Amino acid sequence: MEKLLNEQVISQVKQAFAQMKEPVQLLLFTSRENCDYCAEIRQLLEELVAVDDKLGLTIYDIQDNADVAAQFNVDKSPIIVVAARDGDQVINYGVQYAGIPSGHEFGVLINDILLISGRDSGLSEAVRDFLKHLEKPLHLQVFVTPT
Amino acid sequence: MLAHQIAMENPAMIRAEGVEATEFPDLANQFNVRGVPQTVINAGGGMVVGAVPEPNLIAEIKRALN
Repeated sequence: MEKLLNEQVISQVKQAFAQMKEPVQLLLFTSRENCDYCAEIRQLLEELVAVDDKLGLTIYDIQDNADVAAQFNVDKSPIIVVAARDGDQVINYGVQYAGIPSGHEFGVLINDILLISGRDSGLSEAVRDFLKHLEKPLHLQVFVTPT
Repeated sequence: MLAHQIAMENPAMIRAEGVEATEFPDLANQFNVRGVPQTVINAGGGMVVGAVPEPNLIAEIKRALN
C-alpha cells in the first residue's frame, strides 16, 4: 500500500519526537459501519507510531470494546485518544480527536503527542487552580477543518 | 490545542475533543458551526468562535459553568 506520510514528513516528525519525554499511547476507536476514514486513519497512525518507540498504538472497535470506549468517554468513531503510558498503565488525560487529522490538524496531533509526553499543560497557576477545583463536568468540542 | 491543555489539568472532570467538522456534519450543524476553529462548551452552554487567547476561553468557560 502506498505510504500516507512521505519521507520529508517522517523526517520532520522524527525531529519533533526527539523532544518526547515520557511514553504516549494512541487509542484509535473505529467501527465497522459508517466509517469512511477508519482504514486511512489506522494506516496514518501505524506509520506515525513506527517513527518512535516512545509512541504506541492500540486499536479498538467501538462496539466490540464498548467497556474501553466507556472508560475513555468515547461516544463516536473514528476517535483518537492521546493518552499517557506508564509501564502497562494507560492514563487518560481527556484528550481526543474525532476524525482524520490531515493537513494543519496533523501538526495539532503531533503537538498533542508532545504535550502529553511532557505531562505538563503549561497553563498558568491561576488557571490550573480553577480547573483542578471544577465542581461540574466540562466538555469542550473544538470544531476544525483540515485546510 | 488549548482545549487539550485544559483537559490535562483535570481529566476526571474535563473531556476535550478536536472535531473534524466535515466528517461530523450533523454535529457541526447541531452547534451551528460557521467558522473554524469554533469551541462549543458543554453542548452549547458556551461558545467561542476563532482561536482566542487562554484568558478569553477560560472566561467563557466560567460563564458557561455558572
